[in-house]
Parts: sequence; C-alpha cells; structure tokens
Amino acid sequence: MIELRNVSKTVLSGNAPLTIVQPLDLTVSSGQYVSIVGPSGSGKSTLLGLIAGLDAPTTGEIVIDGVEISGLDEDALARLRGRKIGIVFQFFHLVPSLTAFENVLVPLEIAGAARAADRAAALLSEVGLDERAGHYPAQLSGGEQQRIAIARALANEPPILLADEPTGNLDSANGRHIVELLHGINRSRGTTIVLVTHDRELASGTDVTLRMRDGRTERVSPMPARQEVPA
Amino acid sequence: MTFVLRMVGRELRASWRRLAFFFVCVAVGVSAIVALRSVIQQVGVAMAGETRALLAADVEIESEQPWSEAALATIDGILGAEPGLSRTRSIETPTMARPADESKVVARVVELRGVEAAFPFYGRFVLEDGRAYDHRLLAGGGALVRPELLTQLDVAVGDEILIGDRRFEIRGVILREPGGGIGAFSFGPRVLIDYADLLETGLLTLGTRAERQILLRVPEPRVDALAAALREPLRDEFVRVRTYRNTEDRIARNLSRAEDYLSLIGFVVVVLGGIGVWSVTRVFVQQRVRSVAVLKCLGATSRQVLAVYVAQVAVLGLGGALLGVALAAGGLASLPSSLTAQAAAVAGVEDLSYGVTGSAVVQGLGVGVLVSLLFALGPLLEMRTIKPLALIRWNLITAAARDWVQWAVVGVLAAGLVALASWQAASWEAGLWVCGGFAAVAVVLHAVGRALVRLIQPLGAGARFAVRHAVLNLARPGNQTRVILLAVGLGSFFVIGIHAVQANLLGAFALEIREDSPDMFLIDIQQDQQAGVRALLDERTGGAPNLIPVLRARVTGVDGQRTRLDSARAVRRRGAGREFTVTYRDRLEANERVVEGVFWAPAGPGRPEVSVEESIRDRLDLAMGDVLRFRVLGREVRATVTSVRAVDWDDSRSGGFMFLFSPGVFDQAPHSFISFLRGPAETTARARLQRDLVAGFPNVSVIDGLEIIATVRRILDYVTLAITMVGGIAIFSGVLILVGSVAMTKYQRRYETAVFQTLGATRRSLVTMLVVEYGTLGVLAGAVGSVGALGLTWGLSRHLLDVEWNPAPLVNLGGMLLTTLVVGGVGVAASLDVLRRKPLATLRAE
Repeated sequence: MIELRNVSKTVLSGNAPLTIVQPLDLTVSSGQYVSIVGPSGSGKSTLLGLIAGLDAPTTGEIVIDGVEISGLDEDALARLRGRKIGIVFQFFHLVPSLTAFENVLVPLEIAGAARAADRAAALLSEVGLDERAGHYPAQLSGGEQQRIAIARALANEPPILLADEPTGNLDSANGRHIVELLHGINRSRGTTIVLVTHDRELASGTDVTLRMRDGRTERVSPMPARQEVPA
Repeated sequence: MTFVLRMVGRELRASWRRLAFFFVCVAVGVSAIVALRSVIQQVGVAMAGETRALLAADVEIESEQPWSEAALATIDGILGAEPGLSRTRSIETPTMARPADESKVVARVVELRGVEAAFPFYGRFVLEDGRAYDHRLLAGGGALVRPELLTQLDVAVGDEILIGDRRFEIRGVILREPGGGIGAFSFGPRVLIDYADLLETGLLTLGTRAERQILLRVPEPRVDALAAALREPLRDEFVRVRTYRNTEDRIARNLSRAEDYLSLIGFVVVVLGGIGVWSVTRVFVQQRVRSVAVLKCLGATSRQVLAVYVAQVAVLGLGGALLGVALAAGGLASLPSSLTAQAAAVAGVEDLSYGVTGSAVVQGLGVGVLVSLLFALGPLLEMRTIKPLALIRWNLITAAARDWVQWAVVGVLAAGLVALASWQAASWEAGLWVCGGFAAVAVVLHAVGRALVRLIQPLGAGARFAVRHAVLNLARPGNQTRVILLAVGLGSFFVIGIHAVQANLLGAFALEIREDSPDMFLIDIQQDQQAGVRALLDERTGGAPNLIPVLRARVTGVDGQRTRLDSARAVRRRGAGREFTVTYRDRLEANERVVEGVFWAPAGPGRPEVSVEESIRDRLDLAMGDVLRFRVLGREVRATVTSVRAVDWDDSRSGGFMFLFSPGVFDQAPHSFISFLRGPAETTARARLQRDLVAGFPNVSVIDGLEIIATVRRILDYVTLAITMVGGIAIFSGVLILVGSVAMTKYQRRYETAVFQTLGATRRSLVTMLVVEYGTLGVLAGAVGSVGALGLTWGLSRHLLDVEWNPAPLVNLGGMLLTTLVVGGVGVAASLDVLRRKPLATLRAE
C-alpha cells in the first residue's frame, strides 16, 4: 500500500524555485498495477523517485506499508528499499564489474537472506537467463540486461516494484518480452507495480493510468490501447 | 558481513589491474624500509658478538700524553689489587713509511701500532696467506701491513720499509684486525710492529700525536667495577677508561639511530606512494558513483558500502606491502658479493647475512597498509554523499560542502602521518620535522606547479588543434597534473638539487687549490730540525717556508670577572676541555684581526699574555684582564687575556689558533713546529720532496693535501650516489603514478579519441596532442624540480656549507631535459594503445 498526502517537490533552478511536482494525493492499494505517462520533464521520474525514497518531498508525507518515510535517514531508507521496494531503471544500471548471477545475488546478500545463491539461480531461471549467469553486463543484450535488472529487483520478494521507463531503451520485441514479464509478476506474485512509461502498450495493460503534465496528475484510467500517448 | 567480504572479492577481481600501479608505489617505499632496516639490524646482530674484538680487551685505558708517574702509580695501585687480571701495552701513532729501496721515490702516512705478545685478548687477525697470527711474526723488526700500503709504496711481502730510524721487513698482509674500532677516521693504512721496536724508532718525540693504551682482560663480573674504580682518580690526568660494553652501547645506539633515520627515507617514498593512492582513489570513486548508487538502491547502507571499499584498499595496501617485502628480499639476495664483503669489512665483522628480518617486515607491512588507508580515506568518504537518486537524475550529483567529517579526515591524516613518521624515526621530534619539512616542500612544489600550469593557459587559446587540446587536457576536471607534478617534481628536485650542491662544493674546493693556498702539511718538526727543514724547503719550493711553533695545551682554570672555573672538570663542562694546539708570536697573521682588547707590541709584554679566538671568548664568557690557567707538558702556565681575534678559517696559509701566546712564555719549553706550504705541482718532484723530507727527518709527517681533497671528493661522490638513488626511487614512484593515472583515465581518453576520430582528426594530430601534453607535463615537472633545486642549493651554500653560491645551469637544464624525456616518453608510450582501437568499437561499448 502506497499513500501520498499533499506531496510536492520544488527545486532551485538557478535562483528561481521550480516546482516539478505540484501538491498531489495518491493512493495505490496492494496488488494494483499503475502506470504514469506524460511528456518529458512533466515530473514522472521525480514522482517515482519520491515514492522510492530516493529523494525527499518538499511538502507532504509518503507512507509505504504504514511507514512514513520522509522522516527517515539515508540508511533507514536503504534498508526499507532492501525489504519492500524493487526498482527497475531505463538504463538497467547493472553493476558492470559483477556477473549476471552476482547482480541478482547482491540484494539477497545485503539483506542477509538464507540460501541466497539458490534463490538468485531460481530468479535467473524465472526470467529465462539461467544460461547467461556467468556473463558480465557488457556481454548481454539490452533486453537481457533489463531482465537481469527485473530479477534483481524481485530478489527479496518486495511487495512493491517501481519501474522507470523499463522498455524505453529496448526494441519492440524485447520491450514486449519485458511487458509480459511485468504482467506476469503482478498477476502471479500480487506485487504492487508503479511504472513510468512512454510505451502505450505497456500502459494499456495496467489497472490505473495517471497522466502527468507540468507537475500535475490526471487520472485517465483505464487507458485505451490505441490512444495516442504524447511523446 | 558476508556481503561486504564477497563484494571486496568481486571489486578486486574487476579493478585490481587499474589500481595495481599505485600499490606498486607503496611497494617501492616498503621495500626501501624493509631492506634498510634488515641490513642494519643484521649488522647489529653480527657485531653484538664481536664488541670485545673491536676493543681486543675488556677494558682499555688510554692517554694521548706519555704516562705520567702519578697516573702509572694510580693504575698500578688499582690493578695490583685485582685478581685474575692480564694486561698488555700498545701505542698507536700516525707516521711516515717509505720503501728501503732508495730507487722508489715515495713516502706515505701510515697508522703505526706497536703491540706486545699478549695482544689481542679477544678477536683474531686474518692474514692474506691464511697463516695464523703469532706475535713472533713481529719479533726482530717484522711488520704486518694492510694490502693498500703494498700498492702505495710499490713493495711486496719480504721487502723492507723504513719507519723513523728503523728498517722493518714486511712479513705478511692483514685483512682483518681486532682492536681497530669501526669506521674510525684514519690517516693511512695500518702497519703493525712490536711494541719494543716502536719505542726504538725514535718517533715518540715531544709533541708527537700518539695514543698509549693499556689493555686489560678481567673476569666478567669485575669489568664495570674496575672501570669505575679507574675512571675517577684518572680523570684529572686526562686518561680515558672504557669497557667493551661502552663500545657495545655506543654501537647499538648509533645503529638504531641509523636504522630509524634511514627508514625515514623509505617513509618519504611510501608517502609519495600514498599521494598516488589518494589520486587513484579519487578517480576510482568517480568511476564507481553509479555502482554505489545501485548498491544503495538495493538496500545497502553507507556504512556497508564504505566498508567494502575501505577493505579493498586495505587488501591492496597489504598486497603492495607484501610485494615490497618480496622486492626487498630479492634485492638483498642479489647484492653482489664484492659489495657485501666490503660492507662486512667496514662494519668490522667477518660475515653478514642478507635476509629480511621479522621486525623489519612487520614495520614495512604496517607502514604500507596504514599509509594506503590514510590516503584513501578522504576520497572514499565522498561515497557517503552519493545519492541513489543519481540513477534517475544525473545532474543532482554535486559535491557536498566540506563538512566536519572531511576536516576530521584531514586531521586524522596529518596526525596519522606524524605518528607513523615518529614511529619510524623513534622520535616525536624527528617525526614532526620530517612531516613538516615534507609538507613544506610539497606545498612549495604544488604552488610552483600551479603557477606554471596557469602560465601556459594562454596556449589553450592558441590556433593549433593539437596544442590547444593538449593544454586543455592538463587542466580538465579529474586531471592528474598536480599529482604528477608533485611526485615527479619531488624526485627531480632531490636529484637535481643534490647534483647542484655537489657541483658547488667541488667548485669551492677546486677554487681553494687553484690559488696559492697550501697543499702540503708538515707536522712534528723538532727544534733541532728547524734549520735543516727550512733549507730543504727553501731549495725545493723556492719560497721562504713558514715554520710555526706549536705546543699542546689544556685549559685547567679561569679566574675571570664573569667566569670562575677552578678545575679542568669545570672547564670541560663548559665545552672547552679538549686539548688545544697553541702557538706564540709577536705579530698578527694576515688572516687575523683584533676585535676586542689590544694586541701586544712586537717587543712583547712583560708578563705572559694570551689572545683568544672569538668563539672561546663567547664559550667561556671572558673579559679583558681575565687570567686563564693552562696545563702544558705537565706544567701549569697562567696567562692574562688581553685581546680577542677573529680568524678567517678559509685562509689556511698561516693556520688558525684558538689560543695565541705572547713571545717568551714558551721560549724555554720544548716544542715542535708545523709548516703549511705549497708543494711542487709536478708529481715526481712532489713525491721526491716527501721522500727526502722523511729520509732526512724520519719523525716528520708529511700530509699531502691533494690526497685529502681526493678523499673528500670520493666521499662526496658516495654521498651524491646515495642521495641520487633515493631521488631516483622518488622519480620512479612518480613515473609509476604517471603510468597509473594514464591507465586510470584511459577509458575517458579512449572515448574522446574515438569522438575526435569520427570528427575527422588524423592519428598524426592525435599523436601530436599526446606528445605536446606529456612533453609539457615533463617540462613543468622538470621546472618544478629545478626551481626547488635552485632554492635548495642557495640555502645550503649560503647558510649551511658556507661556500659561495654558483648556480649550475647545466645541471638544472640537463635535469629538466631528462625529466621531460622520461615523463613525455612514458606518458605517450602508455597512451598509444588508445589510438589502435577502431573508433566504432569504442563508441558502441559506451
């Protein structure tokens, strides 16, 4: 369960304050699949970053599974993410010096999980990459890297998965593969998913779609599959 | 914990190649520490068992004067009551030796020692032909000599040499002798003869510089008590008593001091390596921003992330230090045996083992790891400020303002370095001085480097593509310019500086010889030999020789207005207790002037008067009219201080004397003469003069100034070589840092090169860019070193060595050129493979 109350984000652009996210309220219930769409610079990624605890809101409070997170320090936030939130990025952000297997293993080790190696292997198998376990990110295609990133995000079975344009850097075939993977995760594991995307196919499959423009949100859900999504 | 350890392993697997260079820097310094400490510790171990042999006795009683009745009575009294005691006598004196064969025109100063049958109580002689030493070899005019004398006099075993009035047959060659002390200054090679023969040479005339020893063997428990019992009553007789244990303590003290100070050299090299570590860690952290942000996104805390990288640095530091230990062990094992034999001979021990010692290894490892950690800590702590948000918004990565943690790190680093240096030098004072000096030199070099970089900035606006980008590269973010300038500059500073100082010193010596300054010194001319010596010198050198009367005197009391000292002991406590060579004259010499009081009239004053040198007046706080008491040849002499002289010590034609007496005081006392003269320049004439002087006046010693200068030159060469090696190690560290930083920034450079190539830059212009960039860096580093060296030579010449300062432009230019070639060559060579990659491959990988 994710709850945002009167959350806004203002930064200094030069010397002038610039509000990236206007005050908003948002509730995402457990198991819901939510997409956020909108033009570049509309504040989508910032909003996702606020939910992930990667950034602190200027006003308002954010509650993740009953925990108000805007008062937590950096390390407490890190621990919270380790347990409750998996994150997938547009540019994958795998650690280049680690193999595919080790990238999936790391969050389990950080959390001190039991039988970490077995679970990492199972996750690799779930995203269909068990044969690529020993490869480094540079030796994998973009689609493969993103599947590894998703496996890594799921390692500690977080109740929440946040994805920032997960298909934005992939061709359509690989993008479709990722769309199906996320769908499956939402259905089979009941994971709450919030994703930011330009991909209308990806957005059309979600329970709720929010459109952002100039830091404001409007609910357009469910989004029609053929509707033009502003670029 | 598992996470941290596993991550350390994975990170090392990925990045050790890039970091390796810098930890090699640590290795170089550690190897210096380990090697130096090991060798000196082993010298100490080897010598510990041999200190009795260094003295050849348990206790030695020594006097520079003939034994006085009183002293002998005291000694006999104390020794007579001592059970189980053996004693033997010995005399050492510098004198002249020449071949008996008249056709060989040569005479040399030797260190003559006469010994009795019981010598030595401890230690053994090693003779060249392998025979055992036996006093019978000396009986009846036999002599054992050091090998170098055979060469100098062109004689062989079986030949005869003349010493004083007597002939001696060379019966063997001494390779090692007990009782010779260590590293003691000597006038010439050792000649060993029988004690009774020495007395018959007629050498021990009045005023002869000779050490008379009584050597004792006593049961171990009595050593200290006996020495103490002898010391007290003999103090006022100017007799010295020492035990083998005093020698042992002194050697141990000197060795441990040498060990500690030499280790500081290694420490400075390790700190240079540390600067390299700091620089690489900075770049490394920049390259790891994304990975760190990912780890934080996945739930890792700052502390866990920091632990991963700190542990990584510790492991690499330990690796570097272990490599250093291996280098030291390998280096010591591969020392040429001629060198090790020579070192053993200098130390006066038979054999030295050259392995690394446990304590040296521990110290080396400790210093290596600690320096790595200290220098890496600052850059690593910046990882705290990396926000996981960086993965979404790159523009948000900004350096946080300096917070208290960073200041604390600076404090920890400074305190840590001072502590480490103090640990290595075993003295807080030395540690502070070394760190302070190092910091000062580094700050100055850094400032000079900065100014030079700014000076070339206008070139960055120039028209040529290659030059413009080369200059911009030197100043771009994340550049290694400052670090390389510091490390290479420091190395070239040492090397250029020391060579310039050497050039200055040699110049000063050469200058003195070129003028009409004396280059030959005659000592021990007796009163009845005056006329003969004067005539011979007159004939051979063509100038009126200046024979100066000398006596040896000690100050035994001061009855002054401000100073009252009533015993020799009190005078000694004021630092004027040594035996002075004094003279008398009715006039001032050219190198003297009166700065206080009035010098006596040529006719001489009616009472005994003395003129003192400035430093003596200051030391004893004398006023005109004060009365000094002297002991000369067993008699007490009182003289009134009536003037103070300033002496120009550089002008040695007339000598320089602390005490100058009025004529008449010593007219009736027996005394000898010395002479400073300019010998013939031509070698044969010079050798003939020396030989004829010694043949006619066997007790006169002729010391050749040219040989002394040659010796000084040789010593200077050794010192220069040693310091050049240290500077060389520093330059080597600098080159390693250079190679490392090229490797470190290769990825960025590869990308840029690829972009330039796509935009139409030819390989030629890219190579030009590299050459200009590293060539400029080399010129700057050389200039930094040269400017520093100029300052160093100026300071040393003016304030410490007291010689005229002559800039040595050739040394400076040569050093700069060499530095430029090394830096330019290494930099370009290490970067060339960037050009070999196809641009597309690089761009795709990005």
